[in-house]
Amino acid sequence: MADAEKGFEPKIIAFCCNWCSYAGADLAGSMRLKYPPNVLPIRVMCSGRISPHFILKAFQKGADGVLVTGCHYGDCHYIKGNYITKRRVTVMKDLLKFVGIDPRRLKSEWIAGSEGDKFARVATEFTEEIRALGPSPLRG
Amino acid sequence: MDKLKNHVKELLESGEIAGFLGLIDDGGHPVPYLFTKEHLDRLDAMVVPDFRYPMTDILLRIVRKYPEETIGVMVRGCDDRALVELAKNQRIFPELVRPVGIACTKEMAEACRCSQPYPREIHYGEKVEGVNDRSDLAAVESKPLDERLDYWMGQFSKCIKCYGCRNICSMCFCDQCTLEDETLIMTGQSPPEIPIFHLIRAFHMAGRCIDCGLCEEACPAHIPLRSLYRKVREDMADYFGYVTGMDESEKDPLEFLGSEGYEVPSKIDET
Amino acid sequence: MEYQTVRTTCTYCGTGCGVLLEVLDGEVVGTLPQKDHPINEGKLCIKGWSAHEFIYADGRLTKPLIRKDGKLVEASWEEAVGLVAKKLLELKEKHGPDSLGCFSSAKCTNEENYLLQKIFRAVIGTNNVDHCARL
Repeated sequence: MADAEKGFEPKIIAFCCNWCSYAGADLAGSMRLKYPPNVLPIRVMCSGRISPHFILKAFQKGADGVLVTGCHYGDCHYIKGNYITKRRVTVMKDLLKFVGIDPRRLKSEWIAGSEGDKFARVATEFTEEIRALGPSPLRG
Repeated sequence: MDKLKNHVKELLESGEIAGFLGLIDDGGHPVPYLFTKEHLDRLDAMVVPDFRYPMTDILLRIVRKYPEETIGVMVRGCDDRALVELAKNQRIFPELVRPVGIACTKEMAEACRCSQPYPREIHYGEKVEGVNDRSDLAAVESKPLDERLDYWMGQFSKCIKCYGCRNICSMCFCDQCTLEDETLIMTGQSPPEIPIFHLIRAFHMAGRCIDCGLCEEACPAHIPLRSLYRKVREDMADYFGYVTGMDESEKDPLEFLGSEGYEVPSKIDET
Repeated sequence: MEYQTVRTTCTYCGTGCGVLLEVLDGEVVGTLPQKDHPINEGKLCIKGWSAHEFIYADGRLTKPLIRKDGKLVEASWEEAVGLVAKKLLELKEKHGPDSLGCFSSAKCTNEENYLLQKIFRAVIGTNNVDHCARL
């Protein structure tokens, strides 16, 4: 297997909300903070827009980890999107665990627009976590 | 049985309901039928068999065409829970539906592993206590993660993509179905993409599934779908104290934050 | 307001699943699996679940059509069957019986299927007999 030969590089999809987390990721770039290239950010308008179906689709297509990021509680541009996201992610983790996918592969984190360093830190930590977990069992 | 027939007859004769959706004996086979005032004699052939048709699903068909009529419907415990959810989701006006309740027998309740084998109001049959059995969930949870995935992928790979689970489901009333969305799931192939096909449906059942088990009965591949849906149903109860089919005034916590403000339930761990 | 279900057999293949056609005010609006049917026991495949859809389909063939000058024209049954018989005989004369074959259908009765294979085996003289229900 190619992965075994050249070492396992996790593929991580990060859903970032437009108002906080994506700005945070942007800031990480402007601050010249380094975070692993394994994390592929996808910008959505709000973390509440991240349908659980997107998370499943990412896993189906071979993502090793999915990071869901949004504004801190109370900061949501649409007032309550992130609360709903938290609930959905919680149930989704349980469902994933029930069918045998490690729930640690799915993570939600709140990152404000000013927290470029947090974005870089979360991305690095999560990548290492996933690296330790190994490739997703759904990877084709 | 005569009492039940007379009750329906009175409802029809008084004009309180325009029709009664029940089951009729058709050459020894009970099939769904709408009893009306014009054919009261057909009530003689009304039956209550020990298997179920998706009554509320059929009701929706009729209600869509006759939104202003009041319609009676034969409901068991599961159908009654479905009515509650349909009212919550604004698919029916509860005041325009007159449920006539049937309590399931002990044998049926056990065969269905039904937690509430009786409707809110019982017009026929004796109420028996529900069965609380999560052995199916426990059996899966006793396996380590990799074995679970093998088990479920084995089950899912049997799928012939008949959409029977969705078609028979009382809670699948959407006009557009995610399962047919080609941007999410590859369309035009069988077996479908797994596990996403089944997991999307499973997640969609969170806060919705009324645990009637018709999906599993309708599955030609014998996939234990109900365990998946029971799992998310249990989660909704554990995390949010939300049990579907109980109270029309409650809202799905995955869609509404509820009256208790925007607090995240304490049971959700913040990791 | 009239709703009833008609017990019948799925026409899509030879399995013979019991289906209920849902009829609302004289219009077939849906299919349900028959719960107490000994063959399918309340289950259906995707074809069975859509067994009602062809009834009102726009493309459904309801009258014989013959292509004349590149256009399909409505024809009488006599004319259509006559044309088919004439062409079949012509082909048999010209290229031999094994240049012909027939497809029968699960939507027909046993008797009709019997007759079709009979005419192809006994009259035309070929064993090229098949059917649509190869699942």
